[in-house]
Amino acid sequence: MTNIENRIFSWHSIPQSSRIILITSMIVIIFITPNFAEGYYESSWSLIDSDSQNNYNAAIIDENGDAWVFGDDGEIIFGEKMGEWIQFDSPTNEDLKAAYANQELIVAAGNNGSVIYKQYSSENWIEIKMDNLIDAHSVSINSNNEIFIVSDNGEIWCFKQQNWIKIESLVSEDLNDIVFEGERGLISGSSGLILGSEDNGETWEIRETPEEVSDSNIISIGFYGINRGYAITSDGQILKSTQEALTTTVGYYWYLKEIESENMSTTLGINLTSIEVLSTTKILLSGENGYIALSKDGGNIVDPQLLPIEGNFTINDIAMKTAFIGIIVGDNGTILYTENGGQDNALGFEIMDLSDFSEFVDFTKDNLLEGLKATMKIVIFGILLGFFLGIVLAMCKTAPTTLKQMIEGDLERTLILFWLIIPVTIIGSRIHGMGFGVVLFLGIGILISILNYYINKNKIENEGFLGISISNNHRTMMIRLLGLTLLLGVPFTEEWGIKGGIVCVYSALSDFYAFHLGSNTFKLSAQVAYIFAPIGNPDAFFRMIFGIGLTYLGVLFFTSNGSFEKKKISYGRPILVLLLWLVILTEILVDFDITGKHSSTFLGIFGWRVFLIFIGLLLTKRILPGGLSSITKGTDNKIIIEPWKIRPLQTIATLYTDFFRNTPLLVQFMFIHFGLQLGKHIQNIGVDITSDLFTISSYLGPLDNLISPMIDYVKESLFGPGKRSYLSAIFALGLNSAAYQCETIRGAIAAIPSGQMEAGRSIGLTYMGTMRLIILPQAIRICIPPLGNEMVNLVLNSSLASVIAYTELTRQGKLVVAITFQIFWTWGMVMIAYFVVTWSLALLLRRLEEKTRIPGLGISGGN
Amino acid sequence: MDEIVLDIENLEKTYPGGVHAVKGISFDVKKGESIAIIGSSGSGKSTVLRCINRLIEPTKGNIKLNNQIINNPLADVNEIRSKIGMVFQSFELFSHLKVLDNITLGLRHVRGMSKDEAEESALEVLARVDMLDRIDAFPGNLSGGQKQRVAIARALAMHPEVILFDEPTSALDPELIGSVLQTIRSLADEGMTMVIVTHEINFARDVADRIIYMDKGLIAEQGPSSIIENPNSDRLKEFLSSMDEENDN
Repeated sequence: MTNIENRIFSWHSIPQSSRIILITSMIVIIFITPNFAEGYYESSWSLIDSDSQNNYNAAIIDENGDAWVFGDDGEIIFGEKMGEWIQFDSPTNEDLKAAYANQELIVAAGNNGSVIYKQYSSENWIEIKMDNLIDAHSVSINSNNEIFIVSDNGEIWCFKQQNWIKIESLVSEDLNDIVFEGERGLISGSSGLILGSEDNGETWEIRETPEEVSDSNIISIGFYGINRGYAITSDGQILKSTQEALTTTVGYYWYLKEIESENMSTTLGINLTSIEVLSTTKILLSGENGYIALSKDGGNIVDPQLLPIEGNFTINDIAMKTAFIGIIVGDNGTILYTENGGQDNALGFEIMDLSDFSEFVDFTKDNLLEGLKATMKIVIFGILLGFFLGIVLAMCKTAPTTLKQMIEGDLERTLILFWLIIPVTIIGSRIHGMGFGVVLFLGIGILISILNYYINKNKIENEGFLGISISNNHRTMMIRLLGLTLLLGVPFTEEWGIKGGIVCVYSALSDFYAFHLGSNTFKLSAQVAYIFAPIGNPDAFFRMIFGIGLTYLGVLFFTSNGSFEKKKISYGRPILVLLLWLVILTEILVDFDITGKHSSTFLGIFGWRVFLIFIGLLLTKRILPGGLSSITKGTDNKIIIEPWKIRPLQTIATLYTDFFRNTPLLVQFMFIHFGLQLGKHIQNIGVDITSDLFTISSYLGPLDNLISPMIDYVKESLFGPGKRSYLSAIFALGLNSAAYQCETIRGAIAAIPSGQMEAGRSIGLTYMGTMRLIILPQAIRICIPPLGNEMVNLVLNSSLASVIAYTELTRQGKLVVAITFQIFWTWGMVMIAYFVVTWSLALLLRRLEEKTRIPGLGISGGN
Repeated sequence: MDEIVLDIENLEKTYPGGVHAVKGISFDVKKGESIAIIGSSGSGKSTVLRCINRLIEPTKGNIKLNNQIINNPLADVNEIRSKIGMVFQSFELFSHLKVLDNITLGLRHVRGMSKDEAEESALEVLARVDMLDRIDAFPGNLSGGQKQRVAIARALAMHPEVILFDEPTSALDPELIGSVLQTIRSLADEGMTMVIVTHEINFARDVADRIIYMDKGLIAEQGPSSIIENPNSDRLKEFLSSMDEENDN
């Protein structure tokens, strides 16, 4: 190893405590660093200097594009073309609260019955004071130039032919806002009230609003054309109305908006004051504490805007000339002006120029970094899952336990289990239910184990389980009976019967056959479609696998002679040759409908087969050297199989790795995500677990306040909405990688001399202990380079997660291309991002390899 | 001295391939006694040794350690092995661990000692095999003789009832054999119970209290170390003379 002093920087020369602090603080910094896009925007609202600290309550922009702002103490500010701002003489000293303008009139209303109006032709404001001193909350003008004001306790007043007339509203709620569009009018009020009129405000009727707003104060309402209406409550809810049918107009039915940008909550959590509908989908909202927000999609995503001033002032009204140009007014003499709908300006450029590389990078880097983060997440979890599963599989594959050892070691126990415990359990569970059966099984099992321990503890010789040594004859008989049971089951009645291996296989096969996937001949090639049968009936497939296992054991037991040796099949080879001929000749010769007259009967088919085998014999005699005599005589023809040598754990692990290594990863991704919906299932389980955790946490008293948010965080970040493809991606990557890592690790384990295991066992470690402490540490060191390969592969393979809509790097690249059409730059940047990640991983692994290298072991270059 | 530590009765082993390696042998080992098993290759010496700590399961017969049957399926094989030390022909040190850790591994994970206790114990046995100066070395950087001494220390550290040596010097260069034999000899002098399978006839004669000569899976002759000078059976005579020839060459 290189001397520490020779290094430019040595990690180990830093004290351990400092190292921990360093790493922790780095992680903390990474996590708390805000999204650095934030500082790059500035408000597009510019402050108008009004020389006043008065509260402005209402604003309106007239037909000429001039702005009028009304405030406390009757103050009127006039903004010519919103450029020149001057104070205007006011005929009233009352606070003005609302304003409205149409083609002829500009009108404002306020406290104590004060209503003023001005005609475009006239220079002066005229006061039309109401006799009863009510406080106007809102004012509007209908298509007959009649002025309407609304006030508390359901009062609606109309200024008609120079007289104030009270209009019957039939409600007693406080009314907050009135708006007219032609002859149609809408009024909003407290307790979720919305009134509508179709006849220029002559009569008003109650419109349907959602249950959820019945306690809320609908503070402002507005509509656009005939097909969209919006309203807001002072609690921050947004209501939306659309045209229900061609014959009706907007405003009859109101829906509470689920706001996507607030995690589908129905409230913004802001006390809103005013709404301005700019188009069918574009709305501006204002509220307390300087809140102004724009939604371009009808309230799905509400985007709060920056303001050039800070403070706790309330924005009281919005007045827009077009969808882009307009003003907002608020407390303390605030008037703000915008020319692009208040949308925050990205600093440094006015219009994005995506053909400029620096601006392109600026625009896309957030997307790509987001994608990189998402990639890292699935990669890290995928590597962990793959590695640990890989080790487990590798250990299964190298486990030395053969079927023979398993059976032989516990033969007496197995026999007693089958001939005593299982029947008792089954009878018990049929009589008293499943639970009783399980308890009986465990009870008898434990009782017998304890008995056995005491009986055999002080015996000098092992005299068999429970001291019962069964004579060889009887033992063989019992084993054979056991085999028969496994094969056939217990053929009692439906209720008491147990299915044996053959029955399972047969029923599974007949389930498959019910699909009728083959055509009508018994040619093998015609049955090809049956390879898809497992997907058609997974249940039958698993039954078949289970049945094959049982049949295998059953045949072994049934034919056992008590010695568990290898088996010889006499004439095995000739039988195989003839079967092969049968298949070949069937393929060549048979080409007719099996239901045809020659072969409709069993004998017909049987006859055909005998005939084909006969031809096979002749052909064999002709073709094979030595001919018929050599395949029917002599010891060479025996096939020797060693069925007891099977290692069950290895078999299971091999099935797993074979499956995952012989199917494409892309297909696995789609099968796992869309086919199995694994992500959905895990998410559901996860949510169940977290809700259980919440229950537990609620017993913890004051600690609950600490733990609940943590559970909530985990729940949100792992199982929250939109995490399905995330979970699926982790599992697809991890399960696939495990199959490959398993083989790598197995190779490394095989490379460790067997003496190491013996040495470990000889000092008294268990098999697993030796594995853990001696074999695996050496094996993992050997396989770091190939494992590194595997992990790099995993990072690169993670790009396939884009097909299941997981927004990792590649998918973000696709999205960016879709927006910007800059193909070369985008994919180049994606490639660089992958390279950086993978290369750092490779460097890390190289370093790890160097760190963990054992001096004097293996040819590794260097010292 | 008369207490019997290890008692082997009628031991037989047939390998799965059908090789009948050990055909029924019986002998016992008394406390403090060192026994050398000699014999030509394939005579079943190593099989006997491996049967004793059940690295190989015997086909028939009994093995008793301190009067307890140990080849009973119910016996705790790991505990038994921890009482029987084993030194291998090819050392089998744990190459990813330093010398000290090689020795403390068993103490910590089998005996359940704390790290400090285990290290104290390990230093003690390393002193006995004269390896104190290399405790921080990795096995890969040790010479063969040093490796074997560490392996002996590893077996010793567990305070076994008996140590089995499986041809401890066969893999060593002639000039390195001396130090290992010296170490084993000093253990014998300290009264350690040992069973040594060896090809070093002279060493066997020096160290062993008793010599067992095995031939074709059976004990052909056994007796005090003097049987090397005065062999009774023709087989042993033949074997000794062949060994002499080999040494002369």
